[in-house]
Amino acid sequence: MGIYRKQIQIVGDILYAAEELTIDQNGASITRLIQKANISHSRISKILTNLVSQGLLEQVDSRRACKYRISMTGKDFLKEYRTFSEFTDNFGLTI
Amino acid sequence: MEFLLENILNLIGFIVGIIIGVFAYVGYKNTGSPVLFRLTIAFIAIGIGFGIIWAGYVIDDIYLQEGKINRGLQALGLGIQTIGYFFIAFSHTIKSFFPKSRYFRSVGILPLFALSAMNIEHIIRSFSFILLVYGAIETFVSFLEGKQKGTLAVGIGLALLAFGEFIAWYSLVFPESILYSVSILLKISGLISLFIPISRLPLRKIKFDDFEDNEDEKFGR
Repeated sequence: MGIYRKQIQIVGDILYAAEELTIDQNGASITRLIQKANISHSRISKILTNLVSQGLLEQVDSRRACKYRISMTGKDFLKEYRTFSEFTDNFGLTI
Repeated sequence: MEFLLENILNLIGFIVGIIIGVFAYVGYKNTGSPVLFRLTIAFIAIGIGFGIIWAGYVIDDIYLQEGKINRGLQALGLGIQTIGYFFIAFSHTIKSFFPKSRYFRSVGILPLFALSAMNIEHIIRSFSFILLVYGAIETFVSFLEGKQKGTLAVGIGLALLAFGEFIAWYSLVFPESILYSVSILLKISGLISLFIPISRLPLRKIKFDDFEDNEDEKFGR
């Protein structure tokens, strides 16, 4: 049986992946984000554009490809997302 | 003694319910999660329910001095609490609580008009008991899957509230016994247990923009 994720969970997973993969200032490539967040290319493009416009992710220009790194606001959001996720987990529910 | 314990229980219930409800509301505002919305309604209702009963005791203590709460007020408070317990149970995907047939619905409502406030109170308690048991079982099942201490604490909290509700209902048989005081102590323990995992979470607000699209995505794993 398939596992369903809500939009907020997908955003959380992408930000988590970006945080994990942003080990230096270069950021993470789309391919790595797709693998880590388990999401299709067509879907992630739209969400990444949204996240960049919201200021949760920063776009890093590289010579070969476009990369993304998590912003300070993105880190704050991720922290809050984890808090509320833990809150619902305590009730045996999913956010 | 019973009067004092009731005051303490209802005050704690009011405070715990409102704090958890506000926290869930902040989460709902930030994430748009319907689960957090249901938990907001649940805990605000539980808080208000306890608050009404507490206000009833305070009014009696200060003005009426009859040594007992108005039964109608108590039934109202318990009813609102039951709505809260229903939403906790509903979050665990209760699909339909009331009978679908219009005939059964009308028959189900009839006894409410034929019974006294005292009887309604005990009917409400039995509903609360069922909903709390359901919520506790589902939370324990989630604990067995996730093994999180917070889930265990919430499960124990709901179970203690259910047991307290059962003892309170059973005290109808032995009205002058210690049973009612025991039920109050059980419920206070339950509320404290519910609050423990929530108290560990940072209670601060941060504003985020539109992530309220609850469109689901299927992943074949």
